[in-house]
Amino acid sequence: MTLKILDGAPNEIVMERDFNAPRALVHRAMTEPALVKRWQGNSCSELTTVEIDARPGGTYRYVYKNRDGSSFSFAGTYREVGEARTVYAEKFNDMPDEAVVTTTLTENAGKTTMRVVMAFSSAEIRNMVVKTGMAEGAAESYDNLATLLAT
Amino acid sequence: MNNLDTTFAALADPTRRAILARLAKGDASVMELGEPFEMSQPAISKHLKVLERAGLISRGRDAQRRPCHLEAIPLRDATDYLERYRLQWEERFVALDNVLEDLKRSKPKRKRTP
Repeated sequence: MTLKILDGAPNEIVMERDFNAPRALVHRAMTEPALVKRWQGNSCSELTTVEIDARPGGTYRYVYKNRDGSSFSFAGTYREVGEARTVYAEKFNDMPDEAVVTTTLTENAGKTTMRVVMAFSSAEIRNMVVKTGMAEGAAESYDNLATLLAT
Repeated sequence: MNNLDTTFAALADPTRRAILARLAKGDASVMELGEPFEMSQPAISKHLKVLERAGLISRGRDAQRRPCHLEAIPLRDATDYLERYRLQWEERFVALDNVLEDLKRSKPKRKRTP
């Protein structure tokens, strides 16, 4: 169950990962606020606000708080919502640029393969996202992941 | 100092990644690099220029062959960024695994109707 980063267009980040659960559960865990809250944060940033109206045209908003007290948000509008495929347009910190995120869930023998394609408005923004993701404190992530995997 | 954007852009092309994979096994001339691809030498040379500009390869002095050499450090820097980005998401998804295990254990729940 390793997360793979796959080849995509220069403006895209493509991720794929298997989950040992049926598709309906994975979809629920991605759209019900109480469940999302349990996994979307990480060791560097706690998820403090989750609002989700998962239907076409509905909006969502995640607010994260960093350890230093600063905060950031991801918010967007759903274009499509379904167990097989969910599409939303997302803004980081309410900036004008939008990324279109397409999540597909494929179920096979009780397991689900999730594929996430994040299409940014340019390759430069895509690269910035990759780099910023790292600046948030990757060393801690490494440690925390090791701890999680050891338990 | 290499610009990481240039590196990422250079890595975005499958032919260029294949060239780097070949060079990881040892230095090679333009002619040798072109063999596995159905591509003209000028087309290969163009890819090599992109890789060279990104600092991912260097060219030997031998005027005839000008063998290409893989420069490992810029490649590692670029893949490190992606790897760290990947690990941040992996940390979340490991947490999602736990949520899913709990959901499987609890009774199947229908969505509440308002």
